[in-house]
Amino acid sequence: MVVWQSLLNEPAVIAAAVLALGLIVGYFVGRLNEELLSASGVPDAVEGTPFERTAQSLGTSTVEIIARLSSWFIYGIAVLTAIHIAQLLDTNAFWLRVTEFIPQLFIAVLVLIIGFIVADKSELVVSEYLRGVKLPEVSIIPKLVKYSVLYVTFIIALGQIGVHVLALLILLTVYAVGVVIVGTVAFKDFLVSSAAGIYLLLNQPYGIGDQVRIGDQRGIVQEVDLFVTKIEDDSEEYIVPNRKVFEDGIVRIRE
Amino acid sequence: MAGLDDVFGDLFASVDGVALFSPSGSYYEQVAAVEDLNVIVVGTENSVGAETFVELPLEFEDVTERIRFGLEGALEQDVIEDGDELLCATSAFSDGIDTISRVRADAESHTGIYDLFAKSRADPEVVKAVLELAIELGQKGQKGKPVGALFVVGDAGKVMNKSRPLSYNPFEKSHVHVGDPIVNVMLKEFSRLDGAFVISDAGKIVSAYRYLEPSAEGVDIPKGLGARHMAGGAITRDTNAIAIVLSESDGLVRAFKGGELILEVDPEAY
Repeated sequence: MVVWQSLLNEPAVIAAAVLALGLIVGYFVGRLNEELLSASGVPDAVEGTPFERTAQSLGTSTVEIIARLSSWFIYGIAVLTAIHIAQLLDTNAFWLRVTEFIPQLFIAVLVLIIGFIVADKSELVVSEYLRGVKLPEVSIIPKLVKYSVLYVTFIIALGQIGVHVLALLILLTVYAVGVVIVGTVAFKDFLVSSAAGIYLLLNQPYGIGDQVRIGDQRGIVQEVDLFVTKIEDDSEEYIVPNRKVFEDGIVRIRE
Repeated sequence: MAGLDDVFGDLFASVDGVALFSPSGSYYEQVAAVEDLNVIVVGTENSVGAETFVELPLEFEDVTERIRFGLEGALEQDVIEDGDELLCATSAFSDGIDTISRVRADAESHTGIYDLFAKSRADPEVVKAVLELAIELGQKGQKGKPVGALFVVGDAGKVMNKSRPLSYNPFEKSHVHVGDPIVNVMLKEFSRLDGAFVISDAGKIVSAYRYLEPSAEGVDIPKGLGARHMAGGAITRDTNAIAIVLSESDGLVRAFKGGELILEVDPEAY
């Protein structure tokens, strides 16, 4: 018993135990993470993104990288704690800073990985969405989306490890405000029309087949969608923005 | 093999073009690499990114129909000319291309099938979706019993003004479009209702239970078809709509445009 007691009091033994425990926990957390990520459909979501492809070519995958990262994070903590307990080094203040810094670094790396994947994925989604538009200039939009996401990611990651990002944030704000202003100016009519369109679709004051007059245009309603109403008379088809339906009012004609 | 070349060489001697039906990417590359060859890709989608492409609305099971439709579409798009000799490579038995036939493009035998899809008021996807629905309905029927159905597609405003409701419209104030996954089931259930389905250019189901009231003057459809076909054919004469009719008695799906029978397909063949 005495031998056990004295052994337990030995810092080196406790340190070794902590290290072993850390290794085991780290390994299992890594495995658990991998299972969880796979079960929640992450492999499908990241499929086709350049990040995943790079990972594949290195013989690994995104899920594996993230799982490994969490394992290594716990290994790192275990090693640091063990060193601390064994009192191999006594510069307490230094180690305190290191232990504080490591989780932040871990999160920063995680943010970067997720940011890269989200950026790639949104580029894919946007370009898929715009595929029908056969204009060479349009291909810049997915790129723009990708780099916007990446930019935000970098700001978050840098902020996490304590780099001053105020200037970058200001740049981001200017950019975002610019996008919003240009967006509202460009899409003002669409917004107004779609707001009117929602009312028209929900309440259906007039339906397909009704005789109506909107402003100067009179005819049979052929189609009502979110943005426009199509009315047709014998020879002409008018495509009236829903905004105009509200401005001019609708006259339903009964004969 | 030189002997075989002598025999079959005539097939591909001095053709004006090659029509590939749904080729795989590598197959297309191979053919496109041949110099001075006019290659036309025909298929349900342009998966190989070919320059000259003719879209098929359906994956026609019957090879002759598939080729006839493809060539009619190509003629319509002016990628080939009347009298061109074409080598058509398609698949008849397996998934890959295994059959070639030499066909002469003939503008005379114009049936209007291509027009039905590409030049109707309604969007081609809508026409395609409705046709597929009618075919599916013809295959399975409703609860195992054969059903008949009449879909009037496009120019819905005019069609609504040339028809009257038989009962309350189950699609009133709803926003269902053909091609939505749940809609096929809904339409199947509603197919026991009498009357026609009215579908707009963009595919919105405007109404069911409609009694069509076109004037049947000058409608030329084969004798022996019933009132449903007559009503369907006649409405397409009076309006710019097309009608897709599933016959209850013989189970065939027929499409009408401009008062004429354009397409007749047997659902069982798909």
